[in-house]
Amino acid sequence: MKTLLSNARFAGVFVFALLLSACAQSPVLLDSTYESLTPQIENREVPFFAQSEYQCGPATLAMVLNYQGVDTSVDELIPQVFLPGRDGSVQPEMLATVRRHHQLAYPIRGTMDALLGHLEAGDPVVVMQNLSLPIYPMWHYAVAIGFDLPEETIVLRSGERKRHTLSFSRFDATWARSDRWGFIVANPGTLPEGITARNAVEAISAYEEAHGPKEALTSWQALVEHYPGDPLGQFALGNALYADGQPEKAIAAFETATQHDAYMGAAWLNLGILRLQQNKPEEARNALMQAASIEGSWQQRAQALLNDV
Amino acid sequence: MKTLRAYLSTLLIAALVITSLPVAAAPVSPQSMDLVSTQSVLVSDRAGSDRERINEILARADVQEQLIKQGVDLDEVDARVAALSDVEAQQMAQQLEQLPAGAGGGVIGALFAVFIILLITDILGLTDVYPFTR
Repeated sequence: MKTLLSNARFAGVFVFALLLSACAQSPVLLDSTYESLTPQIENREVPFFAQSEYQCGPATLAMVLNYQGVDTSVDELIPQVFLPGRDGSVQPEMLATVRRHHQLAYPIRGTMDALLGHLEAGDPVVVMQNLSLPIYPMWHYAVAIGFDLPEETIVLRSGERKRHTLSFSRFDATWARSDRWGFIVANPGTLPEGITARNAVEAISAYEEAHGPKEALTSWQALVEHYPGDPLGQFALGNALYADGQPEKAIAAFETATQHDAYMGAAWLNLGILRLQQNKPEEARNALMQAASIEGSWQQRAQALLNDV
Repeated sequence: MKTLRAYLSTLLIAALVITSLPVAAAPVSPQSMDLVSTQSVLVSDRAGSDRERINEILARADVQEQLIKQGVDLDEVDARVAALSDVEAQQMAQQLEQLPAGAGGGVIGALFAVFIILLITDILGLTDVYPFTR
């Protein structure tokens, strides 16, 4: 009986170890990442704010906001982002608080390659980790500031440690548990290198909801400069230009949007409305006819305006 | 609270239906010259329509209630709700309880078994709980 028990225990430990080793693979970086990145990089300019108790959310925000030149403190951020009932801070409010301080929060693509790329460009990245296991989570925010490629280590400003160095594999294991969630804080009118068009559109649109299209104009311009072929970006730029009192440039942006996506009914409709405002019924009719022929929420309005022309 | 919500939603549905009627029913009338907003295009990318708008407005009321329940300072609640985008407000309203809350406070009062497991996973490089393992 005794040997059976010890055998069973041995088998249990063995299976457990097997399970663990199965998921303990080091993260695969693309070969191109190894070839293209500088071996070592660290942004020492990022200020450090130590967290107290459960305040890693406010502390990370204080670091990245002050780095961008926003004058704020952990004590000021606690009432803005900390949830006493949860002993922590949640992701949507992390992003929203960044915007309250008139900065943009750009989500990054959730891969190690993307993260290292941002670090090489000098942009500190706020990352969410689960330091523990999924069954006993310990959620945590930290600021990634650098890496050492030959050593395969990443450098974080984390918790009470100003410079926390850990291996790629350990970091990626903790980061993967948040689905590799992270974001970069940037001044309005700038778009950090490597942010996808879709993520940028979402981030700037959320900023626009809070501060209005005029304040978002420079950011839309930055987006279009990076991604001139993105129809949604051109469309958004058109709206911001119009709000800023530049209807001619707005028309040009809507036209560009329709050139890149001929089925973007909303852009055709806005184009038609602006042409109507300019008393150019012929050109308005063309745009409205396009809008009315494409299925979508704009169709009805386009048809109604068309009947008026 | 539940009944208040029920009233509020009926009221909102009625208000939205009434305000949208003239556009739908009277094709020949002074047309609105407002442009289609970027946000409404993004929303219709996801789901769209009036139902979505009702949900958004209800979501904010919901989030406000929940933030108060979670102990957020009353002076701050309005500003925090206002800071959320529509998408974020809905996310908060639907799943605030499930959303992970970053705290990083350490495993205090953990069971001995949990302590041992995390110690092992720390040594194996899967977790990052105890600084003394490195």
